[in-house]
Amino acid sequence: MSLSGKEREEFEKQLEAYVGIDIGIEDASRDAVNQAMIRQWCEAMGDACGAYTAPEAAAKSVHGEVVAPPAMLQAWILGGVAMATGEDDPRDKQRELHRLFDARGYTGVVATNTEQEYLRYLKLGDRIRARTQIESISEQKATGLGIGYFINTRTRFVDQNDKEVGWMTFRVLKFEAGDQPAAAAESNSAVPAKPQRLRPALGHDNRWWWDCVEKDELAIQRCSACAVLRHPPRPMCGECQSTEWDYVFSSGEGTIHSYVVIRHPEVPGYTYPLVVAVVDLAEGTRFVGNVVDIEPEEVEIGMAVQASIERVDDEMKLPVFRRAS
Amino acid sequence: MPATLKNQAAIVGIGETEYSKNSGRSELALASEATAAAIKDAGLSPSDIDGMTTFTLDTTDEIELARAVGIGDLTFFSRIPHGGGAAIGVVHQAVMAVATGSAKAVVVYRALNGRSGARYSEGVSGGPTTSDLIHWSWYMPSGLMTPASWVAMYSMRYMHETGCTSEDLAEVCIAQRNHAVKNPRAFFYQKPLTLDDHQSARPIVDPLRLYDCCQETDGGAACVIVSPELAKDLPNPPALIRGVSQGAGRDQESMTSFYRPSISSLPEMDLVAKQCWQISGLTPDDIDAAVIYDAFSSIVLWQLESFGFCKHGEAKDFIKDGGLGLGGRLPCNTHGGQLSEAYVHGVNGINEGVRLIRGTSTSQPAKNDHVLVTAGVGVPTSAMILGKA
Amino acid sequence: MSATTIRYEDVSVGDTLPELPIPLTVSLIVSGALASQDYTPVHHDKKAAQEAGMQDVFMNILTTNGLVSRFVTHWAGIDAQVRNVNIKLGTPNLPGDTMTLTGEIKDKDDATATVVVEIAGKNSWGAHVTGTVKLALPQGA
Repeated sequence: MSLSGKEREEFEKQLEAYVGIDIGIEDASRDAVNQAMIRQWCEAMGDACGAYTAPEAAAKSVHGEVVAPPAMLQAWILGGVAMATGEDDPRDKQRELHRLFDARGYTGVVATNTEQEYLRYLKLGDRIRARTQIESISEQKATGLGIGYFINTRTRFVDQNDKEVGWMTFRVLKFEAGDQPAAAAESNSAVPAKPQRLRPALGHDNRWWWDCVEKDELAIQRCSACAVLRHPPRPMCGECQSTEWDYVFSSGEGTIHSYVVIRHPEVPGYTYPLVVAVVDLAEGTRFVGNVVDIEPEEVEIGMAVQASIERVDDEMKLPVFRRAS
Repeated sequence: MPATLKNQAAIVGIGETEYSKNSGRSELALASEATAAAIKDAGLSPSDIDGMTTFTLDTTDEIELARAVGIGDLTFFSRIPHGGGAAIGVVHQAVMAVATGSAKAVVVYRALNGRSGARYSEGVSGGPTTSDLIHWSWYMPSGLMTPASWVAMYSMRYMHETGCTSEDLAEVCIAQRNHAVKNPRAFFYQKPLTLDDHQSARPIVDPLRLYDCCQETDGGAACVIVSPELAKDLPNPPALIRGVSQGAGRDQESMTSFYRPSISSLPEMDLVAKQCWQISGLTPDDIDAAVIYDAFSSIVLWQLESFGFCKHGEAKDFIKDGGLGLGGRLPCNTHGGQLSEAYVHGVNGINEGVRLIRGTSTSQPAKNDHVLVTAGVGVPTSAMILGKA
Repeated sequence: MSATTIRYEDVSVGDTLPELPIPLTVSLIVSGALASQDYTPVHHDKKAAQEAGMQDVFMNILTTNGLVSRFVTHWAGIDAQVRNVNIKLGTPNLPGDTMTLTGEIKDKDDATATVVVEIAGKNSWGAHVTGTVKLALPQGA
């Protein structure tokens, strides 16, 4: 669904009414800052800092007493189990704004940025309240997830004396989710735990070569009629038009003819910065592959390299190059 | 039948949409708007159009576009493969159609939601098992799968052989940005670029940095091509096509021709250049301005060498001290190019070539008898020379 | 945890923190969400997560914040004080993967004895979190 120019104009006018307003509800901590919740947090996070759970160590520290981990700031005012089951508070203007986006097809939501500022560490017994303001709504943006709008909010946290103890900004993207979530759910069973490199497509003209790689050999196609080597493999010899061929195994020795250091974009399954080189093999053909175990700054044209066949992820084998010793 | 394609056709109308990062409409809508605008600019009506040509990569079907715009019977339609390499190949198709009488008035079009839709920067991946996918399969497993990475491979070797540096590449970017600063259509309108900006921008694929890479744009562009006779009756001064040609070189791969003895030059563009000079009877000295395909800054240098503006390896000296600027030896990409105006697969460059001949560029050189316009490189490619009637 | 807190004068711009790999288990993700009082179902209920388009439960933001703070204070010691955490969120943290946290000192402010640590947490899909932590360190004798 995409809005027409006029619909979009009207929608964006509606959005303007939300910019700068308080969302209308105050979040208050149900419990004072307490050792039990702090301990649970520290155990979950694996945070062994004595300032949070060891009174003696805390007393000797800069804090002087047990304090709460600063990152818990928002935890003191979140809703707990009610978040899993409860209805939205009808006074909550932030929820109302999100529903407005939902109704226009911007059903996707993802948090993109958050900043927390801690003015002081919270101590046992502190009671926290928070109010949130919608600071701004961006113009329409094209993002990797789809077309949408960024909503920026700011939450101020105060203590029992109405003194500010910290603040938090939050940036969420409301976007046109399309059919993506359903599609992802369907393919759930096929999603591997870890991303893998892109596989080669296999066909008549290249499958044999990848079969050789599985047997730890870097093969080079050879014309049976005129003995010319060729790579990448092709079904006919460009020199003599013979369709008969066999192959030889490369020694893997070569020199770098050119190379690149890929830094962006980072594709899941690969490690960056990623060095890829065109290598002049000793046999006279060229091969394109990764250069590994070397700092990108040390790679240079003319460097002698040696290929070996290695597993580059859970399953796939590839010829990779290292500086020749 | 004409003996050559010299002066057999002229571009008489150009049109385009706004260029943006999010058009908010379909590629068919963009193509329709650009095409209708080009027909109107030509002083023709849609029913005058009887030929259409575009890129194989274009998602808009000719007959859908014809219906949308109100174009009637078509006697010629064709498509050219290989991405940006098709940019002038499509003009070549139109000129051949007009010269042979296969069509009287041909629309060239290209429209893409290149930013909000499918983005080329995200690289190649799966798809049906075609010979093309088998080709990409030699590179995907090692991660060499974006245009920047392929062009960087040639660039690294070229720089190694010629002593060209990243600062030299910046010269191209800055010259073009200086033009974009004056062009209200350009993304970088009124936004200058300094050498420091260029050098401090993040590396994308060494040796290319951010501003060495073109933009990703939503937009459409189109032009109308007719015979010189018909052009005489139309309102705008025609841009006569003095010469136009295509070329695929020996041992060519799409973007990854890494197996030739030398990978620091463009044999396919050498072939295109040779034909352009032969057909037109012109030489580099006759060219007053150029629109040189610039998906990446480095590829501009190699094309200057292919067309003989300078010798192999000497482009870095040719462009020094504002060589590509308005007062320079070859005012180049006066719209800002794809680095700084918009990336519409080179068809926005055709329109700029026509504006240069008409004398209406926002960076207009005083002398404008002949303008060179080229297409994408690393792939089978194409180019043309435009001239005043 | 460092036995003694790192002192302001002993660190320099460019210093790096020891890497911290964090195995991402269902237990970590669920207990982190519940400890932060965030009971949004996608963080503890696999079915709800799948209905939202993810393959499994995924880490909530407060846990990410907690791990980032732990990473930095663990390196700096008990007397370091976190002043600000400013993060950009990327690819989700899912069970079965590992997030590796790295950090580098990017700036020092002598007036407040505060350092800015640039942090990144990468899992095998890419960057889960990138950003900065402002940390006040003890200074002088």
